[in-house]
Amino acid sequence: MPKFFYKRKLDEIEEKARPVHINSYRQLVWTKFKSHKLALFGAVVLIGVAFFTLLGPLFVEVGYEDMDFSNLFSPPLTEGHPFGTDELGHDVLVRVMYGGRISLFVGFASAVITTLIGTIVGLLSGFYGGIVDRLLMRFVDVMLSIPMFPILITLTLVFGSGIMNIILVLTVFGWMGVSRLVRGLVLSIRETEYVMSARAMGVRNGRIILRHVLPNVIPIVIVSATLNMSYAILAESSLSYLGLGIQPPMPSWGNMLQRAMNYILGTTTGTNPWWLTVFPGFFIFITVLNVNFLGDGLRDALDPKFVSES
Amino acid sequence: MKVYFLKRFLELIPIFFAISIIIFVIMNSMPGDPLLQMRMQNPRVMTNDPERMRELREYYHLDDPLPVKYFTWLKSVLTGDLGYSSMYKSPVIDLIASRLPNTLVLTITAWLIGLIFALPIGIISAVKKYSAFDYTTTVFAFIGISLPGFWFALIAIIIFSVNLGWFPVSGMATYGIRGFWNIFADRLRHLVLPAFVLGLVQVASWVRYIRTSLLEVLDQDYVRTAYAKGVPDRKVIIKHALKNAMIPIITIIALDIPYFFGGALIIETVFSWPGMGRLMYNAVISSDYNLAISCLMFLAIITLISNLVADFLYVMVDPRIRMGRKGA
Repeated sequence: MPKFFYKRKLDEIEEKARPVHINSYRQLVWTKFKSHKLALFGAVVLIGVAFFTLLGPLFVEVGYEDMDFSNLFSPPLTEGHPFGTDELGHDVLVRVMYGGRISLFVGFASAVITTLIGTIVGLLSGFYGGIVDRLLMRFVDVMLSIPMFPILITLTLVFGSGIMNIILVLTVFGWMGVSRLVRGLVLSIRETEYVMSARAMGVRNGRIILRHVLPNVIPIVIVSATLNMSYAILAESSLSYLGLGIQPPMPSWGNMLQRAMNYILGTTTGTNPWWLTVFPGFFIFITVLNVNFLGDGLRDALDPKFVSES
Repeated sequence: MKVYFLKRFLELIPIFFAISIIIFVIMNSMPGDPLLQMRMQNPRVMTNDPERMRELREYYHLDDPLPVKYFTWLKSVLTGDLGYSSMYKSPVIDLIASRLPNTLVLTITAWLIGLIFALPIGIISAVKKYSAFDYTTTVFAFIGISLPGFWFALIAIIIFSVNLGWFPVSGMATYGIRGFWNIFADRLRHLVLPAFVLGLVQVASWVRYIRTSLLEVLDQDYVRTAYAKGVPDRKVIIKHALKNAMIPIITIIALDIPYFFGGALIIETVFSWPGMGRLMYNAVISSDYNLAISCLMFLAIITLISNLVADFLYVMVDPRIRMGRKGA
């Protein structure tokens, strides 16, 4: 019995001691990411949604503004309208595809821009410290204390509610979280030996930031970019609910949902046109859910701490 | 301690002025001429006479340069005069005084509901990591953070108000009810649905947060030591782990208070709850400048106060910080 036990223990130790061929951080990340089933699932679904919205409209001849007057409020699977039609005879499937382009674009663009601004501010603030840090962080405090949603409403009224304006508004008030995160991280990276040795060798500040600091904050930046994307998609739909998002006839998942809400109680039509809510709602839900899954998996995969443990 | 908070409080003053400038500039860049707006709402008083128009413009300081306008406004605000609402035809201060309590009732109830649900769920799913309970709450938490709040609210209305008829669809009170307890019960019935929706939306992210920070603590050496000493599980979790995990949790829960006011805006719209959010929304929509600016400033002040409270709690809970500050 003890012999058997020791044998197993030895095997285990041998297993652990076996040299692992590790080529690069990138490979490790990929291995780790692959083992995160939920994240992989999220990535696949997101790619699917992206293809659906980008390529889908190429295969149908109907545009998002075309109306089919003989089919108002048709339920799904009506001939020619797999997702049914709305109150004006718009094809819901087509609108979901075009709306997805806009919702995804708004989400993606504002995530990229907010992350970019936040990273730059965080890097400068954390690396240079002193007066730069104090000014930038006080500014972040100010921005964070302005009630976000009311000001979003005000700004969309000021700038109008085109796609670019929605993105602008979401980015102007969206970058502070990232900048705080990045700053915190940079503060600790600044004190590491490799940064100090780079400094001792006389490397210029700009180069230290780009070559030594930035690569180390990238993981956290990518993760918060995914969170920002899910936030932006939800924020656009909430703005749309208040009638301030993307304006009809141009569809977005948010404004489709908002218009569907007028009919959901079935008082105007006699029946409950559930498909008007279900399809755009489902796509918002699926997209945001999988962006979150992806972010969760990326966080585990990109964190060097986790990688070295596996 | 006292010095630290005095310093923190004094720091808020420049921030307050910076916010007021930003809000003022944004509101003043809103489209629409206030005078035309006023004439539209009350054509009887106004004329088309250009001379009279110019007088009125002068009277309301509409053509002053922006900095001058700002200081005029600031002076009147600091003397307690928030101006007159052109939409509701009454002083702004009265409107806010009548709406603010409604919003506070809604947000505080929602905040408490969120806390009551999030704390035990988060703790259990951290203690029983990778159990069925943990997976279930994780799935629900993910679903919760992936749905737009208004959608959740509407589904709740359809299920609980329209189909089941348990709660009223909207509003805050039924007219014609008498007696203290009847009114109380009626208010409560109106409050349940919006407060639950607003609170439960936040539960999802809190549960995740509580779980993560508790897991981190449960991994510490002192927790292992406590277990090794034979301290009962309950005691380890509550006395050793939770006490330390509370620091980040309290911070995030206090820092999220402003989000409740933001979320309340949507929920108030869905449920026709007569609160600050809706007041502000209507003010912005109909370019009621005085009212909109005052509402925004009020919400900003609430945000600042909750940040201060978060800071205060943070120091209260973590003796290390308290000591550190004293030494410095």
